[in-house]
Amino acid sequence: MPVTRKKTLAAVAALSATALILTGCSADGGSSDDNVLRIAMGSPGEAQIRVWDDVAAQYEAANPDVTVEMNYQDDDLYQTIGLPNLLNGRNAPDIYFEWAGARLEQRAADGFAADLTEAVTSGPIAGLFDDEVFTSLTVDGAVVMVPHSADVTNVLWYNEDIFADAGLTPPTTWAELLDTCDALNAEGIIPIASGNKDLWAAGNWLAHLTSRVVGEEAYSSALAGDTDFNTPEWIEAFGYVEELADHNCVNESVNAVDDNEGAQLFFQGKAAMHAIGSWLVSWAIDEAPDLNFDYVNLPAMPGEGNQESVIGVVTGYVVNAKSTKQDEAAEFLALLNSDENVQQFIGAELTPMTLSAASGEDIDSRTASLTSLLETAPAIVLPPDNGYDLETANALYAALAEVLGGQSSPADAVAGIDQKLG
Amino acid sequence: MKPNRTVTPYLFLVPAMAVFGFAVLFPVIMTFAYSFTEWNGYGAMVFVGIDNYVKAAQDVLFRDSFVHVLIYIAITIVLEVVVGLVLAGLVSVRRRGSLWFRVAIFTPVMLPMVVVAVLWAFVYNNDFGLLNAALQTLGLEDLQRVWLGDTSTALIAVSVVSGWVYAGFYMTIFYAAFNQVPTEVIEAARLDGAGEWQLFRRIKVPMIRNAITVALLLCITGGFQGFDLFYVMTNGGPYGATEIPTTYLVKSVFTFQNVGYGSAMAVVLTVVVVGLGLIFTRVNREKPEEVRS
Amino acid sequence: MSIDASNKQFDSARTHTAKHHAGRRTPLRIADVLFTAALIVIAVVFFFPMLWMVFSSFKTNSAIFATPFALPTEIDFGRWVEAFEVGHIGQYALNSVIVTGASVLAILLLGAAAAFSFSRYRFRGRNLFMGLLALGLLLPLQSYFIAQSTMFTQLAITDTRWALIIPYTAMGLPLAVYLLKVYLDAVPDELFEAARIDGASDLRIFGSIALPLLRPGLATVAIFSALSSWNEFLLALLYIQDDALKTIPTGLLAFSSRYVTDYGLLFSALSIVTLPMIVIYIVFNKQIVEGITAGSVK
Repeated sequence: MPVTRKKTLAAVAALSATALILTGCSADGGSSDDNVLRIAMGSPGEAQIRVWDDVAAQYEAANPDVTVEMNYQDDDLYQTIGLPNLLNGRNAPDIYFEWAGARLEQRAADGFAADLTEAVTSGPIAGLFDDEVFTSLTVDGAVVMVPHSADVTNVLWYNEDIFADAGLTPPTTWAELLDTCDALNAEGIIPIASGNKDLWAAGNWLAHLTSRVVGEEAYSSALAGDTDFNTPEWIEAFGYVEELADHNCVNESVNAVDDNEGAQLFFQGKAAMHAIGSWLVSWAIDEAPDLNFDYVNLPAMPGEGNQESVIGVVTGYVVNAKSTKQDEAAEFLALLNSDENVQQFIGAELTPMTLSAASGEDIDSRTASLTSLLETAPAIVLPPDNGYDLETANALYAALAEVLGGQSSPADAVAGIDQKLG
Repeated sequence: MKPNRTVTPYLFLVPAMAVFGFAVLFPVIMTFAYSFTEWNGYGAMVFVGIDNYVKAAQDVLFRDSFVHVLIYIAITIVLEVVVGLVLAGLVSVRRRGSLWFRVAIFTPVMLPMVVVAVLWAFVYNNDFGLLNAALQTLGLEDLQRVWLGDTSTALIAVSVVSGWVYAGFYMTIFYAAFNQVPTEVIEAARLDGAGEWQLFRRIKVPMIRNAITVALLLCITGGFQGFDLFYVMTNGGPYGATEIPTTYLVKSVFTFQNVGYGSAMAVVLTVVVVGLGLIFTRVNREKPEEVRS
Repeated sequence: MSIDASNKQFDSARTHTAKHHAGRRTPLRIADVLFTAALIVIAVVFFFPMLWMVFSSFKTNSAIFATPFALPTEIDFGRWVEAFEVGHIGQYALNSVIVTGASVLAILLLGAAAAFSFSRYRFRGRNLFMGLLALGLLLPLQSYFIAQSTMFTQLAITDTRWALIIPYTAMGLPLAVYLLKVYLDAVPDELFEAARIDGASDLRIFGSIALPLLRPGLATVAIFSALSSWNEFLLALLYIQDDALKTIPTGLLAFSSRYVTDYGLLFSALSIVTLPMIVIYIVFNKQIVEGITAGSVK
């Protein structure tokens, strides 16, 4: 019997050795291979993924020795755990998606944002953009991001057919909005769909609402941690959120479903309005191609702020300062913004910020009007989670969700924010 | 066992201890060390003494997360251990032909929790979910609700899923234990005129007390470590009603990058879990095994 | 339908129990029928979510909304194929197999070696090492994953398969060592002494005597290590961002957030990862149940 036993042992040893070698090989594969250009982003939706994959193929065709590896992550995961882990990880991306503002500054401070000044002034990206767009993307004198799109992160979308059938017009003031909610509720239609499980979807919308009431400056200083939230102005602002709850303006499931499911209520005609950002147009291509819908900016609020303000943020792509392929990365970003690819993105309902985009003919009218809404906005409000510290943003979002869900009074919720932030 | 002064025993031991030390013991010590610092995970580390523990003691959300996990554990003890015990009792009354039943009840244990969580998020979905649809079919529309969006039901809803998964697990453990109860004891009780229920209550359950203690330990310490279901189904919501220590910890460390504070909370949690584990093993040791040979 | 299939299989496998004949024998049988009916009801309630999942995978969104309880009008596995392909489920499954396989092999080999050391030798530090491993039985994941993740990041282990294989192995070792030691302790000393007198080296004794004797114990350890590695989620979520390396739990989560509005496709993906597990369980249920019971009760 010793013979068979020895065989068993040898087999186990050989198996485990093979297994370890196998895993070793595949584990090391990515890092030792220098010819891979890695690009990371939150998933931009099927339509745009097709364009990205095509741009990657174009780049590989032009540079046969380089492989482009796309990493599309879940949006929320990317924003929170995903990107920091990726940047600190072994296969760190060479190019990654980021939001302009506090987050971008933090990346630059941590040494993850390459200086692209030369690339945009005299390098491959020169001449593609209006120079002015780079002012907000400059940190310590260096351009650190190539912009891609300017997202309006929240407007009020409405279903034109439902509104026509119910004889309603899109609300432009607070009182009209509440009346519209009442009228729609009477028809058995959810007035406003929102999927706020991850807190930012309604959070963005209601933060914009509060900024209109407390004023842009008070909004910004509270989120920056310079002033408290517990002021009569903030309580008043939260009071309007409570009115939304009192009038049953949002779906009952608001804090139980995520943004995708919220959009689905709107796409399926169960909800007449949907408070979300400009990317809805792009989603609708795949999800609800026949839906007739348009948008209005947040209705005017009684309050301190500029009632024409727009909540929005520039997003774009950063080249990792630790990348060994910064030149290739710049070339890729130039290719991404070539005339042909810009037209492809427009086809996928994303309007790149290049000069060439303006000459595009088939930009969706809503997308075009959103772009001009942002460009002509008298005041731009930054979304809390992109423009400010994430923990502060989250505390504000959680408080807004509580009031919207009828769980807390405005005063308690506002006091809770300061308490949470210590 | 031979006393041995050579290096041989260490050679056999080193690989296991190296992996265990590297991936568990050393990180445990480092987590403890981090708990006295303020650190974002990559920048400068600042020593802050016991500030993080003071903060944790005052942190209402952290305290609430403990309350939630205790409620969760209490519910799962009923839905997993008690239900498992009853199911095992039912099955052990007639062992023949019960295999298919045990298979059906045990199957959920095999599934990744993420699969279970995604599936049950659909069961609870208020638009097309199975639960609301069933209530509608039964004419109980009044009971319909947004199960995962209502603070009064979300925690229970998650616990029920946990029960669905683990009731079969505990049933299997108890069934094996019941099978070890000597038939003579049962036959003797039967001759004395004991009914099935009395048999179950007075003979079978007391005789598998050991297995029940272990099950309780598993249920309690396992409950403190729950994460998958909560993360996928509610991620702490609605309004923090299902925030448990682990989800709160992950948020603090990985979303807000408060490594020091998160570590302090992890240490507190570790002390609680290890402490409970030690108490249970002590209790178990004091009562010498009565049934299992 | 899976219930029926499994039912029949087990019934035919146990015909010798003569259950069907027993059913007509004595007057007590009414209670018996009621009892069986109760079991069936409980089983169906337990199994229903899974049946619903499989039925829904063959339906369109509107059918899922409109008639949640109806049987699908047609069984078209096209959706399953689609889900398998667009969802990279093959890739995730392969990753799970590699990670689980490597972890289990490492646990078996390292665990058996350590158990052998503890069981057959007395040496300085033995109690300390055993105590440390016993502590490992109680330590929750939360006690180490924070520092582990910063360590793995600094060592550039994250986003490799090692980031999962190493911790899964370390987490599985305490129970493996403990269980295998119990098995080895039960082996009479004479067996080993005889080999030693024949001049066998320690390694030889371990390989040709201890390991074969441990086979039932190794099977038990393999089963519960495999299940826990296969299903582990938190570390996989934190350490693996690269889609090509994701295991089934995190991969499925990525899938579900990408196709969240195509419910039929999602149900298809869920069914695809669920059914093989059910089949494996039905085939190996005896070993699995024994393995899990031994792993948790001992």
